[in-house]
Amino acid sequence: MAAFILETEAVEYVYPDGTQALRKIDMAVAKGQKVAILGSNGAGKSTLFLHLNGILRPAGGKIRYDGREVVYNAAGLRELRTRVGIVFQDPDSQLFSASVLQEISFGPLNLGLEKREVKERVLKAMSETEIEDLADKPTHMLSFGQKKRVAIADILAMMPEVIIFDEPTAWLDPRHAREFMQLLDHLAAAGRTIIISTHDVDIAYAWADNILIMNHGQIVASGVPTEVFRHPDSIIAADLALPWLVEMHGELMRRDWLRPDAPLPRSKEALFASLGGHDKGKITAGTTGTVLRVLP
Amino acid sequence: MFDLDTYAYTNRWIKIHPLEKFVFALATMLVCLISPSVVVVGAVLLLMTVASTKGAGTPVGQFFRFMMIPFSFILTGVLTIAFSVSHDPGGFLFGFTFGSITVGASQANLMKAGFIFFKSLGAVSCLYFLSLTTPVLEVISVLRKLKAPSLFLELMGLVYRFIFVLMDTTALIRMSQTSRLGYVSAKNTFRSLSQLISSLFVRSFHRAGELATALTARNYTGEIRTLEKEYPVSKRNYAVILGIELGLLLLNFT
Ligand SMILES: Nc1ncnc2c1ncn2[C@@H]1O[C@H](COP(=O)(O)OP(=O)(O)OP(=O)(O)O)[C@@H](O)[C@H]1O
Ligand SMILES: [Mg+2]
Repeated sequence: MAAFILETEAVEYVYPDGTQALRKIDMAVAKGQKVAILGSNGAGKSTLFLHLNGILRPAGGKIRYDGREVVYNAAGLRELRTRVGIVFQDPDSQLFSASVLQEISFGPLNLGLEKREVKERVLKAMSETEIEDLADKPTHMLSFGQKKRVAIADILAMMPEVIIFDEPTAWLDPRHAREFMQLLDHLAAAGRTIIISTHDVDIAYAWADNILIMNHGQIVASGVPTEVFRHPDSIIAADLALPWLVEMHGELMRRDWLRPDAPLPRSKEALFASLGGHDKGKITAGTTGTVLRVLP
Repeated sequence: MFDLDTYAYTNRWIKIHPLEKFVFALATMLVCLISPSVVVVGAVLLLMTVASTKGAGTPVGQFFRFMMIPFSFILTGVLTIAFSVSHDPGGFLFGFTFGSITVGASQANLMKAGFIFFKSLGAVSCLYFLSLTTPVLEVISVLRKLKAPSLFLELMGLVYRFIFVLMDTTALIRMSQTSRLGYVSAKNTFRSLSQLISSLFVRSFHRAGELATALTARNYTGEIRTLEKEYPVSKRNYAVILGIELGLLLLNFT
C-alpha cells in the first residue's frame, strides 16, 4: 500500500476564460486522515476538488490515487469516482430528483450493486444524516440545511474510501454542524479519509489532523493545526482569521498568564486546563470573563 | 399548479399504489369519453369530486376552484360547436344575420355543445383526481412500468425538479430587484423583467452544467437508474375499480 492515498504533484489548472485557478498544487493525504482546506472565496478549493474526483483534468502536473497515477479513460475515471466521492457546495445543483429515495439510490446503483444492498445503504445513509423523517417529502419542500444533508447522504451511500465535502457546515445550524463534525469523526474512525473545505478556521483547527491553506490557487501553508497557525502572517495574507483558541493563547502568553511552555490548546477545555488556578465550580456559557478574573 | 403539487404530497391517499390511482383515473376518463349518456358523465363528475374531496381530502372549495381553471377554456372551445354559419336562418333557435349569412345556434347543436362541455369537465375531473392524489414522480414511475421511453421519463423528472429550483431563483432575483426599486414604474418594471428573464436563462444554462458535473461525480454514464418507492398492491382496490367502471357503463342503458 502506498504511503498516501491521494497525492497531487504540481497540479495546474486554467479555466477556459483564462482564470488561473490552480498553481503548482502539491498535496499528499494519508489514508484515514482528516484534512481541512482553508481558503477565502475564489482561492481554488472547489476547483481542486473537481480534480480529485476526475471531473477536471489538470493542465499540468499529476494526480495519484493509492500510489498510481489517475488514468483518464472511462474505466480509470470510474474507478477513481468509486473511491473518491464529493459532496458539492450547493445542494441545489447536486440534487437531481424530487424524491429523496431516488436521489440517494442513484450513486450506489451506478456502482452496479444489488437492489437489496442499495436499499440497505440508502437506509443507513439516511439514518447517519438523520433524514429518515424526510423520506416522503419532495426535495423542493426541504430547507437548505435539509437539502444539504440529503446531498451528504447521496455520497455516504456510495461508501467511497475518500469523501470530500465542499463547505459542509455552511448553512447548517450549530447543532447540525456539531453533529455533522461528529459524523465526520465516526467516518474517519471507520477508516475513511475525509477532506473538507471551509472558511471556518475554528472548526478546521479543532477538527483536522492536517490543514492546508490556499490563496490565489496556491497552497501557502500546510501542516498539523498547532504548527500552521504559529505563523500568523500567511494566515492573514490569505484573508483568513486566526482560530480564537490560538489568539487567546497568544494573548494569555503575552500577559504572562500562561506558562511559556504551555502547548497550543486544541479545545476550550484544554485551554481552561492549562490556566491553572482553582476550579470554583461550573462556568456557565457566555461567562468566559469570569475565568480571567480568577487568574493571578 | 404549485397548490396541486402540495396536495399531491399531503393527501390521504398518498399510500395507495399509484398504478391503482392511475388506472382508476384513466379508466373512468375513458368510460366518460365513450359514454353516450349524460347520466354517466354526471356520475363521473360526482364520483371524482367525492373521491378527491371526501376520499383524498382536498377541500371542496379548493377542488371547485381547480375545476374553474379550465372552465372558460372549455367554454370557448364548445362555442364553436354550438354556433354555425348558414345561408338559411330557418333552423336556428337564435342567431345574428349579416347580409345573406346567418350565424346562429340550432337546438341540436346546443345540445351537442352542452354535452361535450360536460364530457370535457368530466374528463378534466379525472385528471385532477390523479394530480391531487399522485405526485409527479409516482406518475412517472407508473409510466415507466408501462414501458414509456426512459429518455422521455428522465427528462420529465429533471424538468419537474428544476421547475422548483428555477422558481426559487426567480423569487430571489425578483426580491432583490424589488428591494432596489426595480418595479416602481412601468419603465423600471420593463427593464427589470428583461434582466430577470435573461439572467434566468443564463442561470439555467449554468445549473445544467453543474448538474451534469454532480451526476458525473457519482458515476453517471448516460442513464439515470434509481430505486422507486414500493407500495402494497391491493387486489381489492382493483376489484372496486372494475366494479365502479362496469357500474358506470351500465348507467348508459338506463
Ligand atoms: N467555470 C469557471 N469558469 C471560469 N472561472 C472559474 C470557474 N469556476 C471558478 N472559476 C474561478 O476560479 C477561481 C477559483 O474558484 P473556486 O470555485 O475553485 O474557489 P473556491 O475556493 O471554491 O471559492 P469559494 O470559497 O467561494 O467556494 C475563482 O477565481 C473563480 O472565479
Ligand atoms: Mg467553492
